[in-house]
Amino acid sequence: MKSSSPAWYRYLRFWRRDVPADIDAELRFHFDARIEELTARGLSAEAARAQATEEFGDVDTVKRGLREIDNRVARRHDRIEWLDGLRKDVVYAARSLRRTPAVSLTIIVTLALGLGVNAAMFSLLDVIFLRPPAGVAHPEQVRRMWSEQPMMDGRQFHSIYDYSSYAALVATIGTQADLAVYGYPDQRALSNDENPPMATVSGANDSFFDVLGVHPQLGRFFSREEDRIDSPKPVVVISDAFWHRHFGGDPEVIGKTLSMAGSVYGAPGLLRYTIIGVAPPRFSGVDLDAVDIWRPIASTLPTLGGVPWYRNPNINGLEILLRLRPGVRESELEQRATARLRGPDVGFRQDTLTVAAFGSIIAARGPGKLDSSVEVATRLAGVAIIVLIIACANVVNLLLARAVRRRREIAVRLALGVSRVRLVRLLVAESVLLAAIAAAAALLAAWWGGALLRTLLLPRVHWGEPAMAWRVLAFGLLAALVAGALTGLAPALQSLAPDLTDALKAGARSGGAHRSRLRSTLIVVQAALSVVLLVGAALFIESLDNVRSRDIGYAVDRLAFVQLRNESVDTVTRRVQSDRLLALEPRFASIPGVERVAYASMRPLGGISWEDYYPEARTSAGELPPGMNTAVTSDYFATSGTRILRGRGFTSNGHSDGSYEVIVNDAMARALWPGASALGKCIHFVRRDAPCAVVVGVAQTAMLEGLREDPSPHFYLPLEHMPFPNWGVGSVILRVDPARMSSVLATMHSLLRAEFPTVYSRSTTMEQSMEPLYRPWKLGATLFTLFGVLALLVAGIGVYSSVSYAVSQRTHEFGVRAALGATARDVIAHVLGSGLRTVLVGIAAGVVLALGAGRLVASLLYGVQPDDVRALLGAAGVLLAISVIAALAPAWRAARVDPVEALRTE
Amino acid sequence: MTIRELDLLQGTLDVLVLRALSMGPMHGYAVARFIRDGSDGSFKVLDGALYTSLHRMEERGWVESEWGSSDKKKRAKFYRLTAAGRRALRTEMQSWNDYVAAVARVMVAPVPEPG
Repeated sequence: MKSSSPAWYRYLRFWRRDVPADIDAELRFHFDARIEELTARGLSAEAARAQATEEFGDVDTVKRGLREIDNRVARRHDRIEWLDGLRKDVVYAARSLRRTPAVSLTIIVTLALGLGVNAAMFSLLDVIFLRPPAGVAHPEQVRRMWSEQPMMDGRQFHSIYDYSSYAALVATIGTQADLAVYGYPDQRALSNDENPPMATVSGANDSFFDVLGVHPQLGRFFSREEDRIDSPKPVVVISDAFWHRHFGGDPEVIGKTLSMAGSVYGAPGLLRYTIIGVAPPRFSGVDLDAVDIWRPIASTLPTLGGVPWYRNPNINGLEILLRLRPGVRESELEQRATARLRGPDVGFRQDTLTVAAFGSIIAARGPGKLDSSVEVATRLAGVAIIVLIIACANVVNLLLARAVRRRREIAVRLALGVSRVRLVRLLVAESVLLAAIAAAAALLAAWWGGALLRTLLLPRVHWGEPAMAWRVLAFGLLAALVAGALTGLAPALQSLAPDLTDALKAGARSGGAHRSRLRSTLIVVQAALSVVLLVGAALFIESLDNVRSRDIGYAVDRLAFVQLRNESVDTVTRRVQSDRLLALEPRFASIPGVERVAYASMRPLGGISWEDYYPEARTSAGELPPGMNTAVTSDYFATSGTRILRGRGFTSNGHSDGSYEVIVNDAMARALWPGASALGKCIHFVRRDAPCAVVVGVAQTAMLEGLREDPSPHFYLPLEHMPFPNWGVGSVILRVDPARMSSVLATMHSLLRAEFPTVYSRSTTMEQSMEPLYRPWKLGATLFTLFGVLALLVAGIGVYSSVSYAVSQRTHEFGVRAALGATARDVIAHVLGSGLRTVLVGIAAGVVLALGAGRLVASLLYGVQPDDVRALLGAAGVLLAISVIAALAPAWRAARVDPVEALRTE
Repeated sequence: MTIRELDLLQGTLDVLVLRALSMGPMHGYAVARFIRDGSDGSFKVLDGALYTSLHRMEERGWVESEWGSSDKKKRAKFYRLTAAGRRALRTEMQSWNDYVAAVARVMVAPVPEPG
């Protein structure tokens, strides 16, 4: 109905069009008019009625038809009006927001910050925990294999297997589940050039693609023949992304050759593979690292010491996947797998306590422990939510203040007859509009921030999926709508409360006591949450500091480790290479910059090796700690910086009776011989009747496997007496002048290339090895601080606006005070006092909250407890300082109020 | 052409209604009377069909309605043409004229001689 009264008509319409009544009225008019005309011509009333009815037709059918048509029309009108109303609301909201640009901008920025960090965190956690690998058919039916085994810090679940375990599992449960095995993706160079293009390569067996339900888009996947465990063919399957990136999507790519450098066989040449298939789009394996190239698994693993890789329990690093067949009971299958894995011929050594478990295809959900960076990320998600809450609280405050200032305008509207519902809709439309704008800004920030978070938290992952996904956008918009509606609701509802005449008379002055309670509560909430974040930041900063300054038993900045990549060589050749390496010591030592040279079976953080052992004269009871050991040359301790606390280093090479020397670290000494001296004690390695290894020295408990707070017991054996197996030298250890580190390493490489032309060498510095260990704390410290500063900023704005508003409401009062003789200092003190009272309450609440929530981060900290006093005081202090600064400006304004002006204004 | 009692097709009825409304806004009864009077009583239009036509054309946007009061001060629903309705009327009148002319041409065409 194109009405002649557009705008306020809508406000006044209280009823929906009554379609049946209208139709009845219209037709009644018709009948009345016709009957009147006919009776005027002389017919009787009944005759007239009969004729009119006959002229009309079937009244009921016609009425039904008319009703249908009119209902349709009414619905369409309502829809149009609703949309029109919405549009007008948005236009009105935009106009009123433009009138107060500063407040609007503040709200937008605040919300954008809160929404942005949440969207970024969500996108990260979504891809780690929620999204199953792309391209897999029915990923919820695929499982990963995990087993519980002894690790460095107790029994843990891990998903690393050797081939014999896989074969055993196939034999046991292969009729009830389809199994596949693959190697975790690895970076390989595709040429021998200076800066070769790199690709992520993974080995997979022939059933891998079948189990995942993946079909090639070009060519085919491995056949049984090609993936024979003893003689694999040099074929590869490439991913869709790699196909486009490296081959430009060439449809003739099947049959082309692909080269890969650094083959595990040690040869410096390039291995050539033939491409036989291209995986479908989006499929890039089942881990976070996106795979570019799949090779038959047998081609990735070497034969060592004459033992083929599929029978060598030392060759592990394989992951097992399985898809259950329909109707199979998962728990029963797990039990059978457990029983089989406890068998004697499985794995490196029989483990009768192992437990098998089936985990989700999403590795992060499996029973195994999370990467510590991921654990930090989950805490950060909580932090992001806290930031959003703070932001929303702040926005509500700002909107409240704004609503009170508009009391008059709102009162006028109500007087003109705007329905309350309509008014609330208008006000909520404003906050939703703000939130929508904020969301747009936030999503932009999240896109950039999400990519940043990825590189910060998990830099070694080569992501397959982009950081911004539709789910994140949807999440962001939903969060914005909810935030906008919620933040706008409270002020809107409060606006409806006032007494109209009161508002019209008093104008914008009176604040209302109950309103300020809501505002105070919001300030308290903001302050409390900010304190929690700041405490978190302080704790992580302290942890990082503790970690960095801990004496880990090495001269961190001076150590470098050089290794030959000879994993595939047979034992005899390895022995020869090892001896030659040892013989090269004088040449290594003469390289300018090298201070000392030593050798070890493996470098620190380079792996673990443990042995059975039988100590004599033990003074402690209970289980023996695992026999972790490293074999080293006598120069090792002087080179690495690990101090010998008692006794001495190695001197002799062994005695005629077969006995030899061993050094224990302090933790081992205290574990085996507490209260007594470890020196002179005898230990038998591997067998109870093995020759005696005499303890000649106790070394400092240095870090060997990772940064943990509780020290791990360890043996140092002389290189010649490595118990099992006979690996030879694993790593050359160099103590180098830090300034010449790179030149030393370059010289080492060329030296080794000359001596061992068929073998690659690899080097790392201690600092490089340590970096990933520090990362979780560095990240926690960085991001908590970042978020904490954001929260601080937002809370500061909140305090500023709140105090500012309070001051503006009480201008009159300050004028009176000034007139009565109060000095500027009095006024400032008064304003600060009343303004900061709520902040103090908030700080107290925040401290309590922080103490309670401390449990959540306790496991991530290092050397500091969640109830650390310094952190709590520091956080409280910082917040207080910011609040004082924020409140100073309005306080100053209050002090400068001219009494005359103030008394005159409303 | 002999004028007979014709059962008017719905489409033709629409045109007549539009024509009626082109004289000015009227209520449904006035439209019925216009058509009856205009054809000197030859066209017997079922009033129900007439109202269906009016409502359907309102849905199509050719007419719009408004409640008002009749000359007898009674409450009635008045209809009037929209711009779209006026355009439709013009089109239909053109078509109708073309149709009539074509039929007439056929009618007055010389009958072919047998043989």
